[in-house]
Amino acid sequence: MGTTFLQRLDLGARRLMPFGITLILMLFAMTPTYITGLSHITPMYAFMAVYFWSIYRPDLLGYGTVFFIGILEDLLAGTPLGSSALILLVCQRLVFSQQKFFNSRPFGLIWAAFALLTIGASLIRWVCFGLAGTTGFTPFPTMVAGALMTIALYPLVAWIMAKAQMKLLPQ
Amino acid sequence: MRQTTGQISRFGTLKSLMQRFAFLALIGITFALMLIGKADTVLVDRARIAVTDAVTPILRVISEPAGLIANFINNIHELANIREENAELRETNARLLQWQAAAQKLESENQSLRNLLSLVPEPSATFVTARVVADTGGAFAQSIIITAGTQSGVRKGQVVMTGEGVVGRVMQAGLYSSRVLLITDINSRIPILVGDSGNRAIMAGDNTLRPRLRYLSNRTGVVPGDKVVTSGDAEAFPAGLPIGQVARVDDGVVEVEPYVVRDKLQHVRVVDFGLEGILADQPPPAPQAKK
Repeated sequence: MGTTFLQRLDLGARRLMPFGITLILMLFAMTPTYITGLSHITPMYAFMAVYFWSIYRPDLLGYGTVFFIGILEDLLAGTPLGSSALILLVCQRLVFSQQKFFNSRPFGLIWAAFALLTIGASLIRWVCFGLAGTTGFTPFPTMVAGALMTIALYPLVAWIMAKAQMKLLPQ
Repeated sequence: MRQTTGQISRFGTLKSLMQRFAFLALIGITFALMLIGKADTVLVDRARIAVTDAVTPILRVISEPAGLIANFINNIHELANIREENAELRETNARLLQWQAAAQKLESENQSLRNLLSLVPEPSATFVTARVVADTGGAFAQSIIITAGTQSGVRKGQVVMTGEGVVGRVMQAGLYSSRVLLITDINSRIPILVGDSGNRAIMAGDNTLRPRLRYLSNRTGVVPGDKVVTSGDAEAFPAGLPIGQVARVDDGVVEVEPYVVRDKLQHVRVVDFGLEGILADQPPPAPQAKK
């Protein structure tokens, strides 16, 4: 039995969901929260999304899409062009290359791996910013605080994305 | 059967090779973009302005709920403290009335002295009010996106303020949106005066909450609580705009606590003081009178 046009459209929209969620999280990171002290340690939401979808639905979020989101983030956030795209691509590459490791592991282990990747990514970003600018490096504690915030919030964001995946995505 | 399996595995290898190639190519492009960003800032700035202009309507919608929640919480706080605040306001009002009388006396005296000297008046400042729709950069850069651009008369280099003090400067002006570099950003440098003695220094942001003072002319006179205002040097800012106060003096390091808190910014004023500023890369158009 062939599928109707509407069914195909519906399936296509569902398959775009990982891209949509990553894009929304990237924009969400820029939304003012009006909570004192929070904006200079904003977590890297797009990084969380790329990590999550690269593990669970590698077929729906490719290098090209991740590159596009990273460049868009850099253009919007006024950060050195290419720096976000670089860490997102490296994160995805590392997850893809260790697909066997990530396969049906307990969440604790996946979170620990995420923590390691976040620390690495923050260091890469820190160096990129320091080299791209002319005024030196951001103080180390500020960078570490941002990384810790990203690690701490991952379970919550991953839970939301997992719910969305179970509800909306065909297996 | 065996042939099909072989075909599939060959196809799989080809796909993984293609993926690897795509990855390497994209990594190469990111490095190339980083170099271009350093070499041709005008081109990258143009791209940033175009993208920011296009995405600002979306940011405006996304930031709406957060603003509503913040206002709601503020309202509850205000209601809870309404009695105390009222008493405080009465007291302040009485004190301010005395100041008003003093100010009126000084103003008339000032006017008569100006007349005696035939002083040419400074051009009066005009301003545009805009909403803050994005707070970008996180730990690595501190800038905000506001909903006013060249269509509303905003130009690169103009001063952005709230009632409390200086927020920063317009770094990029698009048609309908602009990016403002905050005074706490690592790239921000502002010539300032500190304390009553008029000590000159440069206030340098470092991406933390408290910028530091550099090249202080006389380190010994500075104590916590001293007011920090713009000095007007280099024509980037007019003189005397409030910035903050000295929070800590420790072993030669002077930290300033800005009056404006980045997280609380909802609306800002972009002020045109008629200065050309050091950021402008093109001569500004003739000033327009605005109300």
